[in-house]
Amino acid sequence: MSPQSLHAPEASPPPDAILNALPHPVIVISDDGEVIYANGAAQVALGGWIAGLPFAEIFPGSDESFERLIARGSALTLASKTHARYRALAGPPSAYGRVLSLFPDESATPAAIADTDELTGLLKRNGLNDGIERALVAEDGGAGRVAIHCIDLDRFKVVNDTLGHGVGDVLLARVAERIRSACRKGDCVARIGGDEFVVVQTGIASPEDAERLAARLVDLIGRTYVLSGHTVNIGASVGVAVAEAGNGPRDMLRNGDLALYEAKRAGRGRFRTFETGMDAALKYRRELEIDLRRALALKQFAVHYQPFVDLRDDRVIGFEALIRWDHPVRGRVPPMDFIPLAEETGLIAKIGEWVLRTACATAATWPEPMTVAVNISPVQFKSDTLVETVVSALAHSGLSPQRLEIEITEGALLEDTVNVLKTLHALQALGVKISMDDFGTGYSSLSYLQKFPFDKIKIDRSFVQGSDEDSEAILKAIASLGLSLGMAITAEGVETPEQLARIRDEQCTHVQGYLTGRPMPADGIHPFLSE
Amino acid sequence: MSLYQLVYYSRNAIAGDASVFEAEVDAILAASRRNNEAAGITGALLFNAGVFAQVLEGPLAAVEATFERIQQDERHGDVSLLALEPIAQRSFSNWAMGFVGHSAENAQRFAAIGLTRGFDPARLGGHKMHAILRDLTLEEEAAAA
Ligand SMILES: Cc1cc2nc3c(=O)[nH]c(=O)nc-3n(C[C@H](O)[C@H](O)[C@H](O)COP(=O)(O)O)c2cc1C
Repeated sequence: MSPQSLHAPEASPPPDAILNALPHPVIVISDDGEVIYANGAAQVALGGWIAGLPFAEIFPGSDESFERLIARGSALTLASKTHARYRALAGPPSAYGRVLSLFPDESATPAAIADTDELTGLLKRNGLNDGIERALVAEDGGAGRVAIHCIDLDRFKVVNDTLGHGVGDVLLARVAERIRSACRKGDCVARIGGDEFVVVQTGIASPEDAERLAARLVDLIGRTYVLSGHTVNIGASVGVAVAEAGNGPRDMLRNGDLALYEAKRAGRGRFRTFETGMDAALKYRRELEIDLRRALALKQFAVHYQPFVDLRDDRVIGFEALIRWDHPVRGRVPPMDFIPLAEETGLIAKIGEWVLRTACATAATWPEPMTVAVNISPVQFKSDTLVETVVSALAHSGLSPQRLEIEITEGALLEDTVNVLKTLHALQALGVKISMDDFGTGYSSLSYLQKFPFDKIKIDRSFVQGSDEDSEAILKAIASLGLSLGMAITAEGVETPEQLARIRDEQCTHVQGYLTGRPMPADGIHPFLSE
Repeated sequence: MSLYQLVYYSRNAIAGDASVFEAEVDAILAASRRNNEAAGITGALLFNAGVFAQVLEGPLAAVEATFERIQQDERHGDVSLLALEPIAQRSFSNWAMGFVGHSAENAQRFAAIGLTRGFDPARLGGHKMHAILRDLTLEEEAAAA
């Protein structure tokens, strides 16, 4: 064989495959101290899909930031959440951050890696790996016959924080007992993190057997506990993975974790079974999240403005601010695709603030008294800095509060209604207008309209565009309701002259839609207005 | 040692025909007889085809341990804890179990259980929470029918 053939491209496996075949964990830490990559071994050792998490969360043992640690030298000792210790070697700084190779430091952890967990008597991670291995061997490779259940407690932290670690520990022991009681004698059960458990179920005949146990675990762990005279309620999310041919412990734990992640995303307190494609979906979401985190700094967002028209004199009286994300590779990402992720990850706080500030600054350049409407997510309403942020955005831009309109959806009023109402009143007291967005699509509870004196109701486009009698009736009802409550009514999504005529008949006060103007960039507004 | 009272009701999850129901009720009765007196637990268990409703009283540790066992029982679900509080004295002098409902058939089937234990649901009216429990049990039987 000639030396060249060794280097022929077809002969070299893809780098990803090599990284995933490495027996030791490899992670990449970004300059912001976040994990942006974890190979297969790292996922198994450090708790599943850790990309996107801060370094400090993976290695809580050290009081120092990653930057400080690395400043002292490229060889480190690190302790993971589960107290496993690693010797870490860091590569040189690069555009991506730093690559860390981790080697289990067995010398330093004689007791910590003992096989059973003192608190619950369950197996620990090492024992679990052996247990899965054994189950797979005993079941002839395990395909379709062995399942693992990755269990994560919901609201455990609240119990720990409010009732103390003592009660928290008793609760964990109780949970462990309940899990064991749901399993067969020989099945192995492990606790692999603070409030994470894994069950290895053997002898299953069909996927339904695994689902039955998962449902039982969710139900059982979620039942009320009585601990030292306290009533304690927690929940459990469960990710199930049934062994496929050729699976090892690592694959199963990874799949179980992916399914667990889906169970949590679907709202917790439930189980999900791993399906092919979940990893691709999660990978997509993780990458989107990483991009989303950078988008603000890289100035990939823009605000566009869609005019709305007063029907009394057919004049444009303001614009709604709409976020646009233009990604260099993905192209334009629709808000529908990234806003939910931004809300899930909390990124919406920063993004929403940026939109608010940008919109106020832009609107300040418009002729008076033209207004700007800005959408505020329910998540932003939960933070107690919203009013402050609005005050500051107004002050910085010099926009008078009367020219700002805050749009909320019914979702904002669903939870914690009292505090949300307080915030709304505070905003209204500033002089800011408040409108109810997308009315008619969600719960459309009329009681919301009664709870707060909205300045405006925006009727969802589906009723405007629907030409059936029901839409018509709903449109009419909402409009007359608004009229009698003294609220302005905007019909959204008006696209044709016929729709506009109908809107006029129904006594809507404003329209917004392609017919009266598409969203435009900030610099398109002055030309548009002078037309 | 302080006494506690715990009150809950739950949804009957016994699947199967009348004879299965009867057998399971017998089994619960047997387990309760075996365990409660020894643990210092008194109280009452009301049941019908729809729900179980129970008052447990005794030393806190015994109440907790008994309730934890009951919580893990697959014969019921949706357990709603109505009360957990210290009490000055017991409302029940022993442990009792009885059918509470309008179903004549079940009333007859389970008459012996209540009788042998001297169970009289009407006596539950003396305590507000217990009266609520009894009324709830009756409503739920109707809903389950
Ligand atoms: C609604 C309901 C009420 C029960 N009440 C009691 C009880 O008061 N005491 C008790 O020991 N077991 C009770 N059980 C049975 C327990 O759930 C469990 O099966 C039993 O305590 C096991 O007892 P053993 O370990 O002695 O077999 C009840 C079960 C149900 C479904």
